[in-house]
Amino acid sequence: MKTKTIEYSRLNEKIFSYEHSSGLKVFVIPKKGYSKKYATFSTHYGSINNSFVIPGESEVTNVPDGIAHFLEHKLFEQKDGSVMEKFSALGSNPNAYTSFNQTVYLFSCTDKFDENFRLLLNFVQNPFITEESVEKEKGIIGQEIRMYDDDPGWRSFFNLLGSFYEKNPVSIDIAGTVESISKINRDILYKCYNTFYHPSNMVIVVVGETEPSEVFKMVDQLIVQTGDKPEIKRIFPQDSPKIKRNYIEQKLAVGMPIFQMGFRDNRLDSRGIEALNHEVAIRILLDMIMGRSSELYNRLYDDGLINASFDTDYTLEENYAFSMFGGESRDPEAVRDRIAEEIRLIGKNGLDRNRFEQVKKAQMGKFLRQLNSVERISNLFITVYFKGVYLFDYFDVYDRISFEYIRDIFHEHFNLDNMALSAVKPV
Amino acid sequence: MDITLKEELAVKLKSFNGITVYKISQDRFKTNTINIFFHDTLTRETAALNALMPAVLRRGCEKFPTFKDIAVYLEKLYGTSFDCGVAKKGEIQLIQFYIEYVADQYTQEGKGMFEKAFELLFEIITKPVTESGIFKEEYVVQEKENLKRLIESRVNDKVQYAVDRCYEEMCGDEPFGVYEYGTAQDVDKITNKQLYEQYNKILGSLPIDIFVTGDTEDARILKMAEKFSSLNRVNIKNIKAGNISKQIEEVKNITEKMSINQGKLSMGFRTNTAPAEPDYYALMAYSILLGGGMHSKLFQNVREKASLAYYAFSRLEKFKGLMVVSSGIETENRDKAKEIIMEQLGEIEKGNITDNEFDATVKTIETGIKSLKDSQLQMVDFYLSQNMAGTNDTFDTLVQKVNKLTKQDIAEVSKKIKLDTVYFLTKA
Repeated sequence: MKTKTIEYSRLNEKIFSYEHSSGLKVFVIPKKGYSKKYATFSTHYGSINNSFVIPGESEVTNVPDGIAHFLEHKLFEQKDGSVMEKFSALGSNPNAYTSFNQTVYLFSCTDKFDENFRLLLNFVQNPFITEESVEKEKGIIGQEIRMYDDDPGWRSFFNLLGSFYEKNPVSIDIAGTVESISKINRDILYKCYNTFYHPSNMVIVVVGETEPSEVFKMVDQLIVQTGDKPEIKRIFPQDSPKIKRNYIEQKLAVGMPIFQMGFRDNRLDSRGIEALNHEVAIRILLDMIMGRSSELYNRLYDDGLINASFDTDYTLEENYAFSMFGGESRDPEAVRDRIAEEIRLIGKNGLDRNRFEQVKKAQMGKFLRQLNSVERISNLFITVYFKGVYLFDYFDVYDRISFEYIRDIFHEHFNLDNMALSAVKPV
Repeated sequence: MDITLKEELAVKLKSFNGITVYKISQDRFKTNTINIFFHDTLTRETAALNALMPAVLRRGCEKFPTFKDIAVYLEKLYGTSFDCGVAKKGEIQLIQFYIEYVADQYTQEGKGMFEKAFELLFEIITKPVTESGIFKEEYVVQEKENLKRLIESRVNDKVQYAVDRCYEEMCGDEPFGVYEYGTAQDVDKITNKQLYEQYNKILGSLPIDIFVTGDTEDARILKMAEKFSSLNRVNIKNIKAGNISKQIEEVKNITEKMSINQGKLSMGFRTNTAPAEPDYYALMAYSILLGGGMHSKLFQNVREKASLAYYAFSRLEKFKGLMVVSSGIETENRDKAKEIIMEQLGEIEKGNITDNEFDATVKTIETGIKSLKDSQLQMVDFYLSQNMAGTNDTFDTLVQKVNKLTKQDIAEVSKKIKLDTVYFLTKA
């Protein structure tokens, strides 16, 4: 068995990895002294993959919106009943989530890791979907969709994505719509499963106090070879480089308007360490420009335009990238105008090198804090892994990143033509 | 693979002037925390005042007079996190201050992060920016506005709102019915002078708990905690837990209309069981069996069988002896959902609990308790709650007690649970 170990001595962390003959990658990150063991089995397949060519076919297959998430729900059903009960009998918490790019199946336990791990590997490899159970699930997911329809934070996020992109499926709600899921049936679900759940498109990550070699041994026993590694062709519509619109508003029952705004990023080619550099640069810039220690944040706060809910974020994936910031405000348009003004000003006057050093140091500390949580490590690891890098590489990026680099990124990213605002206002 | 875990206790280091200092030793996290809690009785008159106080304090202190000054200092301390606010546990309002800093071994600057973090908390709490003997007026005016908006914005989270509103309707004439941030009208009426007087009362007479997590030596902790002895503290307030038992004359039915897509049904129950009573452990199991996970009766019947909801859960309010069941449904399914929910309660009362359901319930609780140890804040909350409830359980004793439960215990405690209020958030 060929395994690899990478040690990050400054972080006091190690990664053990193993590649199974099917192409499945397995990673173990031991956390000494932790009670919880957290295991995930993920496929590189999410809500944006609604158009693809099935291996061996030549025609493009288009599937209803929300199908990756629907499949996630249905995998819990097994020939001999729901796998949830088996996990429950072990006292562990199984769960799953679907994001734009991934579907992740997981459990967290404090006891009987091996039995839980076997269950996870078995149920994800053995779908048992009936027409009847598909129909039943439409009621449950329908209510999940309705819940999110009433969630102003969720709505403002998707409305912003819809302003950035005309055709990119990232702007479609992960669960789809009540209408789109009504078209889902057993056959289409199996088509998606057979296309995207090949081991070579998947990854297993275990975080917690476990013995890596034992984990790898179990993987060897339990992963079933399913033929050659197929090539999956994912189809993405081409968007114009311009944003679709710069303002969108929705009315919902909220006490105070909620908003999200940001810049669409057209740089989509970056993978590997280059992607991390870019991401870290923009996160540092966001803090420098509008973080809690910035002039702008404090002026907006003092003028009653933002409150403690204001926060910033940056996302960079293969087919979409954007910065995002927002929270609650009595006047989102005024916040937008002030931010735009500040960005123009910085474009003219330049960035402050001392602030750069200070924010960098603070973000390193914040990164460290995330490594306290087995769930957080696992979630971050998976996201970063699908970009071709390891989570702990972030720390080196912070070490190396230069002021000159972020200065270039500032001019590239903070282009006011690519800025949009999404507001949810009271009915 | 069974691993016996080292018991992690909250060790009481010292108690003086109504201030108690606890330490929870651990060295596996990258960061450490300091948590300071002031305990007050929850009342309509003081809820908004107590909520406003930390909001004003976080704006600045003598050494760092603006929010920005504090933010810059936190960045210099490797992105230390600081926050403060209020919470309610039963009829007690907690005013809490929290700081989380990178452990010394990861800073490459030697020892001293603990002292810096503690010092900052102490400065923020005890040395606010003042003008003519009261708080800086600008901060009070701005934070009153922010607090009012926060209160108005509670409708934004419909799931939580439906739970809170059910409890409020249920306990309308009890202190528990008071929202921990008060009302917008309460906030409006607050004057700077009044707030400053309340601040002095809080500092001078409320019981204080200080929890430190990490591997900082006891002597270092005590040396910093000693700073609090400079406060003039007299007549420490005796904080009493609220009343648990209540006779229900008639079930209340409340309907609230709003412009929404999904209806939210919340049902409030009196458990008539205090956390220090021996059958409280059976009550814990009852709630998990009813609606605390995928194995639960609510999940299985409301969601999986009837396909009525995506979520349906039950949750205890330990300190006030309440339980809420809540679910998001189509508005026309209100009665159907209510019927299925009440059927599940009936099943448990009749003792219709399968071995699978019972085993899963006990194991779910055990996993939940052991998992708390992986989070410093959850460990602190666990021990704080033990103290407040007067139960003094540790993670291990709690697991032991839960493992001794029988189905009969759960069926028995269910007889004390009475429906009080049915709250429904529906379409306008």
